[in-house]
Amino acid sequence: MSTSVKPSGTAATRGRRRGRPDRKAWAFLGPFLALYLFAMVVPVFYAIYQSMLKVERNGPMGLGEPSVGFAGFENYSLALQQETFVDGFGRVLLFGLVQVPVMLLLALVLALLLDQVSHRWAGLLRATYFLPYGIPGVIATILWGFLYVPGVSPVTDVLGDLGFQPDFLGYDNVLWSIANIVVWQFAGYNMLIIVAQLKSVPQELYEAARIDGAGPWQTALHIKIPLVRPALVLTTVFSIIGTMQLFAEPLVLKKVAPAVTTDYTPNLSAYFDAFANANLYLAAAKSVILAVVAMALSFGFLSLVTRKQRSER
Amino acid sequence: MPTRRKVLAWGAAAAAAPALAGCGEKVGAARTTTATRRRPGQKVTLTFWTWVPLQKAVALWNKQNPDVRVDVQTVPANTSGGYQKMHSALTAGDPPDLAQVEYYALPEFMLVNGLTNLSEYGADELKGAYVDWQWQQGVFAGKTYAIPQASGPMGLFYRQDLFDKWDVEVPATWDEYRAAAVKIKKRGSLITAFPPANAQWFAALPWQRGARWVTTEGDTWVVDLTSPESLEVADFWDGMISDGLVSPIQDSQSAFFKGLQTGGLATWPGAQWYDALIRGNAPRTEGRWRVAELPQWERGAHASSNWGGSATAILQGSRHPVEALEFAHWLNTDPAAIDLLIAAGYGWPAARMELAGSALGKPDPFFGGQRYNEVFQLSDRNVDTSWRFAPTTTQSYAHVQDAFGRVLAGHGTLADALKDAEGKFVDDLKAKGLEARSAR
Repeated sequence: MSTSVKPSGTAATRGRRRGRPDRKAWAFLGPFLALYLFAMVVPVFYAIYQSMLKVERNGPMGLGEPSVGFAGFENYSLALQQETFVDGFGRVLLFGLVQVPVMLLLALVLALLLDQVSHRWAGLLRATYFLPYGIPGVIATILWGFLYVPGVSPVTDVLGDLGFQPDFLGYDNVLWSIANIVVWQFAGYNMLIIVAQLKSVPQELYEAARIDGAGPWQTALHIKIPLVRPALVLTTVFSIIGTMQLFAEPLVLKKVAPAVTTDYTPNLSAYFDAFANANLYLAAAKSVILAVVAMALSFGFLSLVTRKQRSER
Repeated sequence: MPTRRKVLAWGAAAAAAPALAGCGEKVGAARTTTATRRRPGQKVTLTFWTWVPLQKAVALWNKQNPDVRVDVQTVPANTSGGYQKMHSALTAGDPPDLAQVEYYALPEFMLVNGLTNLSEYGADELKGAYVDWQWQQGVFAGKTYAIPQASGPMGLFYRQDLFDKWDVEVPATWDEYRAAAVKIKKRGSLITAFPPANAQWFAALPWQRGARWVTTEGDTWVVDLTSPESLEVADFWDGMISDGLVSPIQDSQSAFFKGLQTGGLATWPGAQWYDALIRGNAPRTEGRWRVAELPQWERGAHASSNWGGSATAILQGSRHPVEALEFAHWLNTDPAAIDLLIAAGYGWPAARMELAGSALGKPDPFFGGQRYNEVFQLSDRNVDTSWRFAPTTTQSYAHVQDAFGRVLAGHGTLADALKDAEGKFVDDLKAKGLEARSAR
């Protein structure tokens, strides 16, 4: 498979390469690094800086000329004192605890099934499962919204005729209606990552298993699943980050579901502070808190998994 | 050849640059309005962000004023994205010249220094052409900051055909409204919807009862969502909700419009500008609608209130305030422009005018030939105009909506929700650095 690399260059040049990165490598990395710096690193530091500012008001009714002052950690304490903002974290955590396993289990099952079907169908099925990912989240939510709103949705009509009264947008249900949209959208995408990993499993392992008398179940349980573990870890980390940043789906559903409050998710809360309440400084503090929590969860999960891996060895 | 150390140093400097620039951080609008001198014959283009379909009126202006072209850009309505966009543009220092801003949002824009002081450009002389209370919505500390466009006096839209069929009297009081609701429910329909996430709509109801949610005392904002008047209104709707007499759905959404189309909703206590929404979303109900006064708390009274209404504002940072003001005044007072705006369903005109002479005074086949705007004219005259909006209305009304959402999910009552929201309302004002307290 792998193309053989001609042993070019002398030992001396290779030695230098090991010493410090090549200038050419920097040239290739340059465009990416410049964009990364400009679009990621600088805004992050600017947000941290802004999170420590506040508006000081003067004059009658506070409508006089305002000024910007240093707030220290005031915005952070203000954000953490807002019960509804903190509740938002609880909500997305609960969401993640349920939605991420369900979605990844579905993705794994789909990937394993795809691995079993004949080549002729595999391509078509893979594309079908992947298709929802190609639909932007906002549009997907609008479409699902029509299926959720009673009086418009054929689903609620049919279920209503059968004697059920489902309230997809109700106070207790709307979180799971959002989870349903996210699962629908991302299961196929995660499936694709797992499929890619499955393809890289060497055929000899399957042959050996077959010779040892393993059936499809045993092959899946003892060979495929352990070997796609890295893909599962990767998709879990992505999903954790995605869950923490839940935004477009609740924002769009908010129009038809009063149960979705302005502080429904931490991201939504920061958005409304920044753009509806014109309080960029508080929004910056909330965003930083969100980033810290997402980082802690992702790295926490990674270290948990790798520690387990190490102890297994 | 740059060394790696140098490259890293440049990177660090680039990262530090915005932080240093941030030391000169301004509150709100990054650019202030200045009038650019115009040579005779020089053409200017004004950008206008709005969600009101007023393209026809603007086209008329553009035809009459080739030198001052107005470019309408449609933005999402108010807090659905329009205000977000305006606030961002103000902060970025690249705002449109003109913007649609509702009366309740004007104090919020004032707080971020987002509006041009129009008194500097002679706006005060135009005052006489407008209804006084609407003009006052744009006046802060004696200076004018916005040109009023339209308001939304409240009335009761109802389906005459269904009322006849079901033998229901048009309710004159809220007690009768409830009695009608019970009758209508027996016929398998509901009298109306109670949209939990529309505090602007709900606020119009205690407003009619005589409540004042926000007042000022010296430099202090006083918040009063739990006056006896507000609680009486809350209790009334609590009863309607718990007895299943109203549909707990959001207004102006697909399910709501379906209710209007099918007769699933038989009435709607709405603002005058809702006529265009009913007409547009339930066209097949032509001829079946009528408009009555809002039901009263005291028989024989004519108490009314207002929902919505907006102004044409010239945002802070415009380079052509003189031309923009000229356009804003024309748009909102010129009879030809007003007729085009009425056709587009923009609301109740802020300009002083004779109803009879305008498009509003005509009998309307959609309302069975009723001169329905005569009802709204009466309503408009009876609006208690001492109602005020705080500079945190978007945020604070969202608390009311969040709390109402919980009520409809079966947690507590509307009265509890108002109590809960009142505390948060005060906190919002304090968080903005303003003095505020609860009224009781």
